[in-house]
Parts: sequence; C-alpha cells; structure tokens
Amino acid sequence: MADNESDPRKPAPQGATAVVPTEAPTRDPLEPAVAYAPGSGMVARIERSRAWRSVFRHPRIETPRGRALQGFSNFFLHVYPIKIPARVLRLRYSFRLGFIAAVLFGILTLTGVYLMFFYTPSVGSAYGDMQVIRTGVGFGQLIRNVHRWSAHLMVLVLFLHLIRVFYAGAYKKPREFNWVIGVILLLLTLALSFTGYLLPWDQLSYWAVTVGTNLVHYVPVIGNTLQDLLIGGPQIGQPTLLRFYALHVAVLPIAVVVALSIHIWRVRKDGFAVERSAVGTSGAFAEEATALPAAAVPASAPAELYGGRTRVLGVVDRESVTAEERAVDDTVFSWPHLIVRHVVVALGVATVVLALGVLFAAPLRGLANPNLTPEPAKAPWYFAGLQELLSHFDPLVAGILVPMGAVLTLVLLPYIDRNPSTIARQRKVAIVIFSGLVVLAVVLTIVGTFFRGPGWQFVAPWTHWYVEL
Amino acid sequence: MTAPAATSRRNFLNAGWRLGATILAAAAGWTLFESLRPLAGSGKGGPIKLANTGNYAAGTATYVPEGRLFVANTGTTLLAISQKCPHLGCRVPFCDSSGRFECPCHGSVFDIGGEWIEGPSPVGMTQYPISTDGDAVVVDTSKQIAGPARGAAQYFSPPKGPNCQPKG
Repeated sequence: MADNESDPRKPAPQGATAVVPTEAPTRDPLEPAVAYAPGSGMVARIERSRAWRSVFRHPRIETPRGRALQGFSNFFLHVYPIKIPARVLRLRYSFRLGFIAAVLFGILTLTGVYLMFFYTPSVGSAYGDMQVIRTGVGFGQLIRNVHRWSAHLMVLVLFLHLIRVFYAGAYKKPREFNWVIGVILLLLTLALSFTGYLLPWDQLSYWAVTVGTNLVHYVPVIGNTLQDLLIGGPQIGQPTLLRFYALHVAVLPIAVVVALSIHIWRVRKDGFAVERSAVGTSGAFAEEATALPAAAVPASAPAELYGGRTRVLGVVDRESVTAEERAVDDTVFSWPHLIVRHVVVALGVATVVLALGVLFAAPLRGLANPNLTPEPAKAPWYFAGLQELLSHFDPLVAGILVPMGAVLTLVLLPYIDRNPSTIARQRKVAIVIFSGLVVLAVVLTIVGTFFRGPGWQFVAPWTHWYVEL
Repeated sequence: MTAPAATSRRNFLNAGWRLGATILAAAAGWTLFESLRPLAGSGKGGPIKLANTGNYAAGTATYVPEGRLFVANTGTTLLAISQKCPHLGCRVPFCDSSGRFECPCHGSVFDIGGEWIEGPSPVGMTQYPISTDGDAVVVDTSKQIAGPARGAAQYFSPPKGPNCQPKG
C-alpha cells in the first residue's frame, strides 16, 4: 500500500499536533471535507461508536476517495482492485466464467461441510449414511443434489473458461504463468470431483473409480506403485475410501484455495487482457479510451508496459504511472460497479444449482459390490471421452500418453505459442489446432456418455438411456 | 571483514540452508510415501483349499467368491483365473452359453483359459498357481501369474452358443 501524505497516523511535520480522535469524530480525518457518519439516528450513532470504528477501519463515504479508502482498508473489498477498466464490466469480456467457477467452489464448500456432519468414511457405514442423508437429514437430499450438480457444473464451467481464455489469447505474455495455474486448478477440480465420486460407496461410484484407478496402472515403471498409493491395497476398499475422503475434504480443497488465491492475485498483477496485434502495439486497441496519445508515453518506456496492456490500478500505479499520462480515464470503481454485478451473478448461479437440485436427484445405486460389475460401468462424464478412447486404442496410448500429452501441451501452450497477437486473423494455426482438439474431446465425451451401453456397445440415447451423472 | 570473505560465508550458509531443506524435504517425502504404501502382505491373499477336482466339470468355470477367482476346467487342465479384467479392473463374468469370459465394461472377450480373443485388453487374464492336496484343489492367491500374451490360443474354441454381452 502506498504511503498517504495526509495519513494522520504519521507524525505531523513542523510541530503541528497530531489528530487523535478520542471522541466520536464528526469529520473523517482522511477526508475532512466530508462528515463522518452524518445524522443523529441510531445507525449513525453506532457507526460513530468506538467499537464500530475498531472493526471497520474507514467510514462509508460515497466519494471517490472514500470508496478507495474503504477498499484499501477492508479485507474483503481488498480482494478487488479499487478501480477497473470499464470494458471489464461487459459480460462478453469474460462471460464471468472464472467468477462463476469460484462461486460454485464456495457453494461446494458450504454444502460439502454440511454433508460432512452426517457422513462417516467407512465401508461399513458410508452407504447407510448416504441413505440417512437422503431420508433422515433436514434438506439432506437437496443439499446433496446441489453439491453434485455444482461439482459437475464447476468442471463444465472451467472447461468453458479455459476455452474462452484461449480464444481471447489471454494466456499470452505476461499472463503465461497464470494460465499454468489455471490448468493446475482444472486438474485439482477434476481430482476433487473424482475423489468425491467414490464417497457414496454405491455401485456407480465403486466401479467408476475402479475403472479410473486402473488407468494409473498403465503408467510405465511406477504405475503399480502409484496405484498402490492411490487405493492403498490390492483392490478398492477401506483404505481407498479413507484416502479419497482425506483428499476430498482437506488436501485438495486447501490446494484449490491456495492456487485460486494466486490465480486471482495474478489476474490483478498481470493486468486485464486487451486485444493486441502482432505488429506494433499502437492502434490495435479494442478500446479507444485506453489508447494513450503518443506524446504521453515516455520515450524510454518499454512499449509493452504502457501500450501493450492496461495495468490494474493500485495506488502506486494509479498515481505514478497512469493518472497523468492517461488521456481519458475509462476506469470505474469496483464497488459498486463490479461487485454489484458479481452479487447478481452469484445469486443467479445459486438459483440455477438450487433449481437443478430440486428438479433432479443425485443418483444412488445399490451398495458397492466388488463381485458384480454393473452394465455399463462408466467413468464420470468428464472421463467418458477417455474411456471412449480406451475402447479404440492401447491403454498406454489412450490412458496415459494422450491425457498426459494433452495436459503437458496445455501447460506449455503459452511458452510454445510465441505469436504475440491476440487477433484471430493473425493466429489461424493455433486456433485451428485448438478448435480441432476441443471438437474431438467434446465428440468423444458425448459418444462415451450418451451413445454407449452394456459391453461398451453403440447405443442410441433415444432408444436406451445409459447416462449416469 | 573484507567483502569477498563475507560473501563466501554467506554463500556457504545459503548453500547449507538449501542442502538442509532438500534433505528435510526428501526425508519427509520418503516418510510420507512409506506411510501411505499399503502394508506388506496386507490383503494379498494366501493358499485357499477348494472342492475336489471332480467338482469342476469340463468346459465350465466355477466362481470362487472367497478368492475372487474362477476355477476353469478347460477339458485338459484346471486353471485358477482372477475375476479382474486386465484392461481396467472390471469383474469379468463367465458366460455359460458362449463358454467364454466376457467383460461388461469395454467388451473384452477371453476364452475359457483366460486367453485374449477380442476387445481392448492388452493381455489375457491373470492366473494364480493351482495345485492339489489329496483330491482337493488348492489355489495360492498371494502369487499372481501374468496373463498369456495376445495371440495365445492354447484353449481357444469357437463359441458354444450366444454371447451374454450384446455385440455391436
């Protein structure tokens, strides 16, 4: 945080007495022109009270400076930049996909903690607990449904987020590493979803996880050891359930929180993506308002710093870099402009998962039976494409080389793709290759999910429905 | 103190910290790995004494739930075949009408000796050592014998009848 010249906590120069508000203040010391919590009502009196001021470090003052100070001094508001470029507010800038995924993670945490109160990760009681959650726990069935649909939606939304970021070219310099963190978050989400899949201990979960963990066995050299570590024994049993539970409720969520924090922090530090052409950086802006007059850019400044992207404005950047040089200020305050939109989106997401939870029950098949493989035995839908691939190719190719290759390519993408342009016409090769792979993955997933029946035979979904989510 | 000496002491200490941290991380990683590894021999099985040899009719495979395996009589020999599909671990039931093992997950098919006939499985079905104790059949489930490679057809015969799993 930048030093503030008018900060009253600093010793005042030239023998002036420091302002120490011992009594309830009438003026905000940081903004003396504005009344501190004006009015004589109960609310204003509380807001002027010493206790209130010990919690909220800055009063609610509806001036630009007041809002900025509120943002700086409030932990929750500080997650947001104080000001953001106005174009970021448009829905089609990002479709809010990253935020939606974060909301879903929040919903999953809340519903997951609720479910934890009624669930024991034991082979003997897990399935019974699931039945009790469905029948004997207040809103248990609904909460479980919401948890399930939120989990599926989160995987879906993250895929869409990844695709959106690719097409926008937003993974390019200087955001390469944030793309890598995004890929890690996607993998963590898949792992969360997969470990959660086993917990009901029904036929669906048991066999989906059997198929999933047997994939690991094909990793060259260390495959058997890895599989042993994952399932903790010769077949899926009590050690597996306990391991998956610990991963699902503690290890992976903590990893997601850490990675997500870095991800959001990097969004602010790396700046919001702007359209950028390969040839030069002037004149290629989508936003006229952010274009700087040529004279305003110091000759010594690297073009990329000022011309290539818009910096998210902290105090230092705002005052030292942009304020004087920016011809038109196109930024708006995050509070209320962005935060209100986020609240609306969050409410929308909550409404959708609640509606899904009311309308569609999460499946619970019979108790897991290691001696009876159900037909068909399908992996969760996000691995169904992989399972489809496995029915055509050698397991080493389809189970290991293809998925590992896909993940590695995704991670290395920003470092392989050196083309600085984000304009579609100038990156045809990357877009064609990526689109082809996305279409392939979607087709394989749809075929594996909807068009496969017992014995992995081709089945039309309008004649027989073998879809389990 | 002269600058180079201070620098070299600092470098030495920094190197020491790095080395110490690396050793600590390696030790922690190894401890974690050792503690998460399944206990040696746990759940790995052992010898199981089964019914007399005469109980296993030629051309049939009898399920042995306690060993999660089938005892298959190929007509010439008795084999103890694991129920687990070598492809992705599904339980492979024996289809009495076709006289073959047919996996419900991905459509692998094996003959009565567990040899691969079709489907995505890379090898035939895993076996266990089988012996006799007097008349009784004894299977040692603690020792696995890797399934026969693709192309083995020692016990192959045309299907006796219709398949249990639908064909595409």
